Amino acid sequence: MDRRRFRGNRALRGGGLAVLVGTAALAGHTQNAPAADSPRTDALVTNVPDAVTRTTGLRVEPMTRPAIIYAENCEGCHGWAGVSVTEIPTLAGRIGYFARIPEGRRYLVQVPNVALNPSSDEDIAAMMNWLLATYSREQLPTDFKPYSAEEVAVLRKARIDVAADRRRVVAALVAANELPSPDALAIPHATLY
Amino acid sequence: MKPISRSRFDRLIELGSRKVAQRVSRRSFLTRCGGWLIASSALPLLPVSRRAQAGDTQQKAKKTFSSEFANQAQTKDPTQCNYWRYCSSDGYLCACCGGGPSTCPPGSSPSPTSWVGSCINPDDGKTYLIAYRDCCGKDSCGRCSCLGQEGDMPEYRPQVNNDIVWCFGASSMVYHCSSAGLVGLAE
Repeated sequence: MDRRRFRGNRALRGGGLAVLVGTAALAGHTQNAPAADSPRTDALVTNVPDAVTRTTGLRVEPMTRPAIIYAENCEGCHGWAGVSVTEIPTLAGRIGYFARIPEGRRYLVQVPNVALNPSSDEDIAAMMNWLLATYSREQLPTDFKPYSAEEVAVLRKARIDVAADRRRVVAALVAANELPSPDALAIPHATLY
Repeated sequence: MKPISRSRFDRLIELGSRKVAQRVSRRSFLTRCGGWLIASSALPLLPVSRRAQAGDTQQKAKKTFSSEFANQAQTKDPTQCNYWRYCSSDGYLCACCGGGPSTCPPGSSPSPTSWVGSCINPDDGKTYLIAYRDCCGKDSCGRCSCLGQEGDMPEYRPQVNNDIVWCFGASSMVYHCSSAGLVGLAE
């Protein structure tokens, strides 16, 4: 179900958001993704009693708890597909690399908006495992051990200097020969507004 | 006895009241008067069916969601502040500015970043995730100014704050209006 949601996002990114002029459609991906795109069963979708969906017949999918935690706390900036604008670090196809070394695994949870999030340790652990498996499965180490709530509870107590810590982790990943290229996790320079 | 009043109307009243005074005792008048007083005050106490009046309040009491906004919300008119998706919307409604509840008006563009909140749909009672996406690149619309505060956090939790101009990453940081797109079903 979440996979399908992911596919819908990709379709949206390709077709919708690039066009920024005029009356561009910008509803949630569920509104933009045509129902015929994915094989959906009626058990998975809901007709929303709503003025707009009544006329368009668009429906939404129920979301799993980790997906809800991600949507409510991360998705707005990081994007539905884990890809956003230059200013926001890309998650898709990247975060799995961090899980390859212990300091990177720590870093993913100690990033300020994960560590300081009001969600419970259980929810953070479940969300992180879901996020890694959904957005960056190919980069995960083969022996990846999912986060536990206990591990998250300990890790999120630390307060890090996020930019300096990231540089250290990326250097360690390069030194350990875990990245396909030294700039695989590079962050592009943002332009001035 | 000859009436002392001069005008016809006065005479009529005089004759009438004199007749009453001659025929009816003061006690009997008081008795009747008291009877009517008691009867009129006791009439509403009789066991009459009052379902018609009670039905209204019963129906109002039916809708009791955890969200105060949802109790007053409707799902039909996106140009009203109480449209169910606007439970956390702060700003001008795009639906009043030439766009829709989830579309930008011509000349403005949707911000690539937004914040996500959740609202209860009053018709099915379910909770949906809503993306509060600002339309940017054009001067403030100025129509239908609405403020929903459900789940809104102070500015030090910027990812769930609606006072911020959410135009990060857009071609321009100039705010035009607020939209509310459906993201998914939360429960």
